Amino acid sequence: MTAWPAIVTLPVLLGLGGCGEADTPIAQRVVGGDGTAGRAVVMRVGCGACHEIPGILGAHGIVGPSLRHFARRSMIGGVVANQPGMLVRWVREAPALAPDTAMPSMPITENEARDVAAYLYTLR
Amino acid sequence: MRPAVYPPKELPNVSPRPAGELEALERIWRAPRGIHFLTVVNNNYIGVFYIATALLFFILAGILAMIMRTQLAVPNNNLISPSLYNQLFTMHGTIMMFLFAVPAVEAASVYLLPNMQAARDLPFPRLSAFAFWAYLIGGTVFFCSLFVGLAPDGGWFMYPPLTSFKFSPADNADFWLLGIGFIEISAIAGAIEIIVGVLRTRAPGQGLDKLPVYSWAMLVFAGMIIFAFPAIIIATYLLELERAFQWPFFISEQGGNPLLWQHLFWFFGHPEVYIIFLPAAGMVSMILPAMVQAPLVGYRLVVLAVVGTGFLSFGLWVHHMFATGIPRLSLSFFSAASMAVAIPSGIQVFAWIATIASGKLRLHTPALFILGFLFIFTLGGLTGVMVALVPFDFQVHDTYFVVAHFHYVLIGGMVFPLFAAFYYWIPTASKRPLSERLGRWVFWLMFLGVNVTFFPMHITGLMGMPRRVYTYPEFLNWGSLNLISTVGAYMVAAGVLIFLIDLVRNFRFTSTDDAGNVWNSGTLEWLPAGTYQTRSMPYVTSREPLWDQKGLAEDVEAGRWYLPGAQTGGREALVTSPIEARPQYILQIPGPGWPHVLGAVFTAAFFLLLTVKLVIPALVCGVLAVVFVLLWMWDTDPEPKPDVEIGGGLTLPTYMSGPSSHSWWAMVVLMLVAGTSFACLVFSYLFLWTTRPEQFPPPGITVPELGWPAICALMYVASAGLVVIAGRQLRTVPRSGVGSWRLQLLLLSGAPLLVCAGLVDLYSQWGAGLRPAASSYGATVYAVMAFQIFFIATVTIMALFTLAKSLVGRINGIRRATFDNTMLFWLYTAGQGIVGLALTHLFPRLIGAGP
Amino acid sequence: MRRLLAGSAVLVLPGCEGIQSALAPKGADASLIAQVSWVVFIGAGLIFALVLGLTLYALLAPQARSSWTASHGFIIGGGIVFPVVTLTALLVYGLSLTGSVGRSTEVPAVRIEVTGEQFWWRVRYQEHGGKAAVDAANELHIPVGQPVELTLRSADVIHSFWVPNLAGKLDMIPGQQNVLSIKASAPGTYRGQCAEYCGIQHAQMAFYVVAHPPEAFERWLAERREPAAEPLADLVKRGRDLFVAVGCGACHTVRGIDASGKIGPDLTHVGSRRSIGAGMWPNNAGTLAAWIASSQHLKPGNKMPSFNVLSGTELRAVATYLESLK
Repeated sequence: MTAWPAIVTLPVLLGLGGCGEADTPIAQRVVGGDGTAGRAVVMRVGCGACHEIPGILGAHGIVGPSLRHFARRSMIGGVVANQPGMLVRWVREAPALAPDTAMPSMPITENEARDVAAYLYTLR
Repeated sequence: MRPAVYPPKELPNVSPRPAGELEALERIWRAPRGIHFLTVVNNNYIGVFYIATALLFFILAGILAMIMRTQLAVPNNNLISPSLYNQLFTMHGTIMMFLFAVPAVEAASVYLLPNMQAARDLPFPRLSAFAFWAYLIGGTVFFCSLFVGLAPDGGWFMYPPLTSFKFSPADNADFWLLGIGFIEISAIAGAIEIIVGVLRTRAPGQGLDKLPVYSWAMLVFAGMIIFAFPAIIIATYLLELERAFQWPFFISEQGGNPLLWQHLFWFFGHPEVYIIFLPAAGMVSMILPAMVQAPLVGYRLVVLAVVGTGFLSFGLWVHHMFATGIPRLSLSFFSAASMAVAIPSGIQVFAWIATIASGKLRLHTPALFILGFLFIFTLGGLTGVMVALVPFDFQVHDTYFVVAHFHYVLIGGMVFPLFAAFYYWIPTASKRPLSERLGRWVFWLMFLGVNVTFFPMHITGLMGMPRRVYTYPEFLNWGSLNLISTVGAYMVAAGVLIFLIDLVRNFRFTSTDDAGNVWNSGTLEWLPAGTYQTRSMPYVTSREPLWDQKGLAEDVEAGRWYLPGAQTGGREALVTSPIEARPQYILQIPGPGWPHVLGAVFTAAFFLLLTVKLVIPALVCGVLAVVFVLLWMWDTDPEPKPDVEIGGGLTLPTYMSGPSSHSWWAMVVLMLVAGTSFACLVFSYLFLWTTRPEQFPPPGITVPELGWPAICALMYVASAGLVVIAGRQLRTVPRSGVGSWRLQLLLLSGAPLLVCAGLVDLYSQWGAGLRPAASSYGATVYAVMAFQIFFIATVTIMALFTLAKSLVGRINGIRRATFDNTMLFWLYTAGQGIVGLALTHLFPRLIGAGP
Repeated sequence: MRRLLAGSAVLVLPGCEGIQSALAPKGADASLIAQVSWVVFIGAGLIFALVLGLTLYALLAPQARSSWTASHGFIIGGGIVFPVVTLTALLVYGLSLTGSVGRSTEVPAVRIEVTGEQFWWRVRYQEHGGKAAVDAANELHIPVGQPVELTLRSADVIHSFWVPNLAGKLDMIPGQQNVLSIKASAPGTYRGQCAEYCGIQHAQMAFYVVAHPPEAFERWLAERREPAAEPLADLVKRGRDLFVAVGCGACHTVRGIDASGKIGPDLTHVGSRRSIGAGMWPNNAGTLAAWIASSQHLKPGNKMPSFNVLSGTELRAVATYLESLK
């Protein structure tokens, strides 16, 4: 593979906000989570239908809260503390943590949930 | 008086010319100053305004394209809303086609034709000015509909039922119909002007075999407008009737058929492409010889190709409809015709290559644009042959492949020649030429930009991307290609921007003091000229007179050729015979004036107010428009003056009526437009009949008794007879004094007969229970009647106008052009009425629907 | 330079394996058309090179050498004889294929009626072998290797039915019935999209075609004939009751419960579809909830209103219920 398609898509990616985890604080590091893979899961599942997600074009949902600056939030869904362990559970099984939430259980695996959580902590 | 020698053996006039002759010429042709400058009519001014306005619309539509390209740069973008995107692509297409391309080529010819044919001006300068003002005002308001979210959003071909009242209830679609209305007016006005201009106002001796290829192209262009535009006139007429009054032409539940629109639209729309391309190709055939410094190789073949394109282009409209499920047999025919049209283009391309080979091409900016044109247009032509292939078209139709194809054809075939033309001809209208250095930047940015933008789109289309989508998902991998296209679009925009900078820096408008023959070209537009064009009109013996006739420029400027001054004391033009361009008479042409300007303003206001449903103010403006147009007409048909000598013993009359006069020709052209329009209406009726024969007429509706159409037909015949008698009677009316009471009486009795015929027909259909909104049959019958009543109203106004002129003694046995025009239109209207009666009363009986 | 070339090939190739691409034919017609395409691409490439070459030759060669190109014979040869010969050949080639494209002489294995609506696709598997017709939406299932006859109609404006991997497009025109025969040559999922501009959401009017081996197709179709599954979990039951109570049934049909609306898509087996919103979003409880609560935000101009009367749990219940309708 060559750099050419990457060069072409680079400005797009830059415009979208990176997926780099280098500046993620230790407290928000998700064990075994891969942010780049998480971004792909978010796109495959369609989280953007409910949430605004900076960096993912077309993710401009209005049903759930915006995920802008998600890493800086103290609470998840106003219900549980924003910590990696909670987040991994939340993205997969939100109703288990908050019975009244509109957010359903999502069809992702435990590993995918880790990736998604890692991705969400890149949204600073 | 010297005996007339024609063709001339020696220079017809001697120099030095009498003192004051040149000054008088200058004074007569000088443009008015101050606020009155708006009343200017000369082609040097109107042509340049017209081109500038077209360029403005090019830039505006280009900006819309840039917004779209930015939206499409990345997948899932939501920079702009779907509704805005849909307005943008509709406006981009509509403006580029109707407010840029057609007006631009027409504008260029308003400017260039009199120059190339050494004519003082076009034969109907106020008509050009009227068309320009209507276009400027109408186009501007049309564009502004974007700012209030009311811009049309149905795509530039506006397919119903999407654009009908049910699915587009807001005013957006009406704005489209409005914008098209203006372009119909200005295109047809232009076509009349161009046909009469090319055929009747040429340099003496500039026979058809010496006619510049550009003039040929414009002649074919105008001819195509006459036969193509009526289809869109009728299409828009029917769609507006459906939108405003729910007359079901395109609604299938009520017997209409959405494909009727497609047939009418593309019967116009396909020739439209060649309407845009032919003038541009004509420009190339003029510019290239100058750049090579050698005549065009294969002049006759090229002319043949231009004429052939004109004819063939009417036989392939269905290739836009291959995917509608029409029968395979007609697919084959239209596929063959679509391929055949490539041949005339091939002839021209090879003639241009041959011309390049016949000399040394100087790579100035115009030459660069022509090479770019050859590259891009050839590619577009090749993909055009591909889409003519039915199975291939099934895949790529309505995808980005087609978007790429038609941008290659239109940008290659029209925009590049136009830019070549800007760089080439601006020295005839500016004190200095444009910059060669900037020109190179403009060319390379545009050339690379166009290819970078549109070449990838072929692939995007094959990869499945349909046109007219405001976004696309990421997983289909169209992102990179779209991004490349967007980068290319910005390159084109940069090129156009530099062109504008070049214009600002170097274009200094003048009609008297231009940069001169900077390219050492051979054709007449490079003669020294003032606002009055050339000082005198040379006898031309070659296609490139400036190369072949020694000392021509000097002799022309010194007034040694024909008509060196203003012989009648006013603005005038030399009318020549259509084939050999033999001088026939002097046409006194009108100068500046307010009526045609105000006529255009109120025409525009009428349509605009009607679009936003302000009916009463609209009607007031409509009446004012008619009043000002009549005021303008009042000054036309001037009093005959004594015969004048134009040089070499040639003495010419200063007035002409009858079949060899320019006004008769113009009226004939107008009647051809009317006749073609009516034919399209008849086609619509028959088309709807073939799709729903059981609905013609629908159950429960009977055709009126035969007595009704018989009475109407009798009235049409009687009224036509009266006007013919009036025409004979007019021959005996002497040149002085008030008009004949017999003529006035005949006019007064003939017009009401027409009105009665129209109303009686209406009454008979209404009485038989037919209602226009109930069925497609009713809708078409009423559409035919309404069309006829519009003509009757026009004839009535013309009759009253003729009567008024006769009352003040402006019509007599000699000075009868006004009457003749009224008579021609009157006879046409009576004939159209009778055909209409046959269609709406006899045809249903023929197919067994009679009582 | 080689890197660059390889790079541009990479740039193009991913699409060649695309699920909505004419360059990756997976059907009888699409293969035929792809073959035609390569013939014309190569032919056009050669002709373009020839014209370009001649232009450069005319431009650059010394006049004495290139004088043969500055003649009438050159124009007639290049501008008339050459195109007449090549175009005639192309026309004959094209016409020989035109008759068979989009049609089949074989008896169709399945007849499916597809109706274009602003902005989705109504699908009905016609009754066949004494078995009842089945209504569905936005997804077509077909058997591989067997001719399938599609009857194309429109309920409102003009649409165009197009699955590039399988066949060329055919318009759906009000008051008219067009018939298109397709035959998939390989199992797989392909994507189609409306190809005639049909209004504000023309861009979001897509669908999937799933080609199964014939037995799998028959099984699939038999499952679709069943009414909606009876809910087991409490949340799902609650979702079903809310679905009826809120009035979804006014527009949608779910066979087996009190919902028989015909305005919107049939939802009896909505949970088994690949997408919602006509190809817009992946199909899961989350996106279904998003669609119910904000369909006018996600796809402005579609006919379904956004429902903002449900509580969080209720919304989740309805979405979960719909997801359960496999």
